[in-house]
Amino acid sequence: MADYREAPLATRPKTLDPNEYFNLSPDYRRAEAERAALRAGLKRQYQLQLNNPHRKELIEDPALNRWVYARANPYNHFKATKKTSLLGALFGVAPLFILYYVFKTDRVCYGGR
Amino acid sequence: MDRHQCQEMAGVGFQRWVRTLSKGKISGISGLLPACRSASGVSKDMLPGKYNIRVEDYKPIADNGEGYGDYPQLPDRSQQDRDPAYQWDHPDLRRNWNEPMHWDFDMFIRNRVDTSPTVVPWSTMCKQLFGFVGFMLFMFYLGDKFPAYQPVGPKQFPYNNLHLERGGSPDVEPEEVKNYEI
Repeated sequence: MADYREAPLATRPKTLDPNEYFNLSPDYRRAEAERAALRAGLKRQYQLQLNNPHRKELIEDPALNRWVYARANPYNHFKATKKTSLLGALFGVAPLFILYYVFKTDRVCYGGR
Repeated sequence: MDRHQCQEMAGVGFQRWVRTLSKGKISGISGLLPACRSASGVSKDMLPGKYNIRVEDYKPIADNGEGYGDYPQLPDRSQQDRDPAYQWDHPDLRRNWNEPMHWDFDMFIRNRVDTSPTVVPWSTMCKQLFGFVGFMLFMFYLGDKFPAYQPVGPKQFPYNNLHLERGGSPDVEPEEVKNYEI
């Protein structure tokens, strides 16, 4: 398994990840502990709300709201760069002209003949 | 009575929001929502708190004008890649409540794109697929070049080789065609 190479864009199995065996520095461990603490805090909040017997409404998920807002409002942060202009031209402007040309020139004669 | 309980319920999340608001000059809901990087007036170290990730882990998606704002770049791993044995808050999505969502979360759900490690290495998969397809293409090409079938003769038709059906006039006597031998 020493020559294992993961598929492009896929991840490595956790058991073959060198970090699991070699990266044991205190900084790495502290980082992992901080992440676990964050996770535990969120879990605690959720459980408190979930098991509250007086709760009558849905539990709102702020991360979900943030994600939905971010996905729905990309134009607020839009900038006309080379890449975005190229994409806009390719997908927005070029099809109009190409399709116009194709529909205009490709005609079928109905009736007669 | 109800409002007081709501406030108590929000608990840690509410306190963190109040802390964030009091530190900066942002008002209301916009302190919680993703915002423009430079124009929000929010200092850089408040953003990880807003998104519930560590300061060191926070890295915004590249600012190339494609509309990401200050949304964080999370690792590109699908939900199928996550531990199936851990007790998630939402087991089908393999996600915990209030966990920061990847920008392409709807692409990474378990029904769609999957980045989990493949069972077989990439080279083996390529060899098997292209080997099989290439072999079949080659064999079909050979079969086209060297056809093999039962010996056949030209097809024989009744009624004087279908004289009338082929447009011959009923008055003209067709020549007698004998397709058999007794």
